[in-house]
Amino acid sequence: MAEPLPLIGRPSAHRCQAEVEVTHGVGLHARPSVAFTRLAKSFPCTVEVALDGSADWLNGKSIVKIIGARIRRGTKMRIRAEGARAQEAVAALSELVRRNFDEDRKPGRADGRPV
Amino acid sequence: MAARCEQRGQPASPGRAVGPLYRAGEPAEAAGPAGSGGEPRAALTAAVERAIAELRALAAKADAESAGILDFQIELLLDGELLAPALARIERGEGAALAFAAAMNERIDEVTGEAGETASETDSEADEDEEAEPDPFALRAADLRDLQHRVLDALAGRTRADFPPGAVYVGRDMPPSVFLAHDWSAGGAIALGAGSAASHVALLARARGVPMVVGLGAVPGDAGDPLLVDGTRGTACLHPDGGEMATAPAPPSPPSSAPARAPVAFPASLAPAVGGPGLFATIDTLADLDGFDPAHVDGVGLVRTEFLFTHAAEALSEERHLAVYRRLLAALGGKPVTLRLLDLGGDKALPGLAEGDPAAVLGLRGVRFLLAHPDLARIQARALMRAAALGPLSVLLPMVTVPAELEAMALLFEEEAARLARQGVEARLPPLGIMVEVPAAALTLDLFPQAAFFSVGTNDLMQYLAAAARDNPAVAPLCAGAETAMFRLLDHICASARALGRPVSLCGDLAARPEAAGRLRALGFDGLSVPPGQIEAVRAALAGAAPNSPPGRG
Repeated sequence: MAEPLPLIGRPSAHRCQAEVEVTHGVGLHARPSVAFTRLAKSFPCTVEVALDGSADWLNGKSIVKIIGARIRRGTKMRIRAEGARAQEAVAALSELVRRNFDEDRKPGRADGRPV
Repeated sequence: MAARCEQRGQPASPGRAVGPLYRAGEPAEAAGPAGSGGEPRAALTAAVERAIAELRALAAKADAESAGILDFQIELLLDGELLAPALARIERGEGAALAFAAAMNERIDEVTGEAGETASETDSEADEDEEAEPDPFALRAADLRDLQHRVLDALAGRTRADFPPGAVYVGRDMPPSVFLAHDWSAGGAIALGAGSAASHVALLARARGVPMVVGLGAVPGDAGDPLLVDGTRGTACLHPDGGEMATAPAPPSPPSSAPARAPVAFPASLAPAVGGPGLFATIDTLADLDGFDPAHVDGVGLVRTEFLFTHAAEALSEERHLAVYRRLLAALGGKPVTLRLLDLGGDKALPGLAEGDPAAVLGLRGVRFLLAHPDLARIQARALMRAAALGPLSVLLPMVTVPAELEAMALLFEEEAARLARQGVEARLPPLGIMVEVPAAALTLDLFPQAAFFSVGTNDLMQYLAAAARDNPAVAPLCAGAETAMFRLLDHICASARALGRPVSLCGDLAARPEAAGRLRALGFDGLSVPPGQIEAVRAALAGAAPNSPPGRG
């Protein structure tokens, strides 16, 4: 079996973090949450989210956690990932939040990935 | 042709019917005991998978807007976080349906922003949010309720073992849920090796006009053999001859035409004379609504809600409860409806929630069971209060022994009323009354001023008074023998209720016996609740028993 990517010892290569402000009209209600978690789950790394400087990191792949956080417009979201493709994941998720979850553009494609 | 073979048992429900033999049991023992081990875990996982598959099928056909909502529900079901609390409850020994329903309710509370209602410090923050008119986050609670409903339905759908319409059910005993899930409109009958004429399923069979015989011992014959059941004589006859077949009325055409009809047709409008007890219908299933004209009764005196739901998953679905209560209120067109809280435990099982154990008639049943399973009680309380906003509804607590039980249940209703108010759901706190069926309560009604009304359950009161199990044929005669004790106690109950200024009615088999109507009237009962098939007979008996002078009432 192929050796998985080394996670320990070289954290910088597989750990990434960014902050983004929620500008979407309401915040992360149902549809944006689906878009966010589906995109997060498409990456092999862990994805976590912390809000407004909180040290409480939530599982970014869990819609229950994301919904439960009642993330409203103006919230500062920190997104961090660890593991394979961490950098890519953080970039894609931050971009999704900035694009307002593509709500105004493509209602059909909930996860915001290019078709 | 195979040899005719007649067996004798005890009659449990009158009438004659012939049909192909159906032997219950061995092939697919439905819904095994879901209390232990990995079984409920597997059941829940399977139900969730089924729900996801249903949602995906719906989403494939839906427009983009609806698909978005369905996607959200699918995403929720795929999230391990959603199931984790339910699985933890299963680890602690809860059945799949209870664990899932209760865990989802906690989640819904969380989403509506009032997670820890004991931790009042979190309330202030949540309350501010609740002010904003259209709360986009409240939509999700509706989604969760929808999901909860869907998974509970999937759980219920897995375990339904029905038998062919028109067949004669043969088994050792028959679970009430099997009786209730079956469509009896094509006829059929019940022949039990054991069982009792006083069991709940016998009670259901009499109300529905299904012939039934119990205590037959081993019933011979193979599946499909013609079996004639004579519930009046108490016999079952395998391979009846042609003549017998002919005299057996084929399917009972109108299902409500119970054999024991009033011999003389009294004018339907003939209400009991002034001062006599009101006449109410007792309802076990929605089909009972077809058995009487709501215009000719004073209301529904007892709904045994535990019979309305044939699976734990249904009994745990607030929306199911509400839908059924709504129909009852609508059918009664403004007349009062008294619903009894789920009376589970003892001989009343609900697979996955309460295991039937006749020995537990002195154990955790009725209100005791509900207070031990507050998650279940809260679901029903909420549905009842939502229904109470729609019409005149009262709630009856089963098996109350001491005032503390009524107080605890009243508190539970108040808590749920506050919760519904916070969620902006229309609801009303209904009057709470108690069943008088435990001698300790019957002797101390003066200690229950908090009860809005009393209803005497003579079936249980008799078995507790006589210390004779009602489903044990060996001691059944003692119940009849203890009738003097019963009437002395009924006199005491009526006097105590009058002293408190509370109405008292009587439900149970005694109310449905025309020959008892005169005595019950004289005792001063305010109401009698009887199965639809007996309403006219009891009405006639009451009219015949009307004294020249009205009974002395305080």
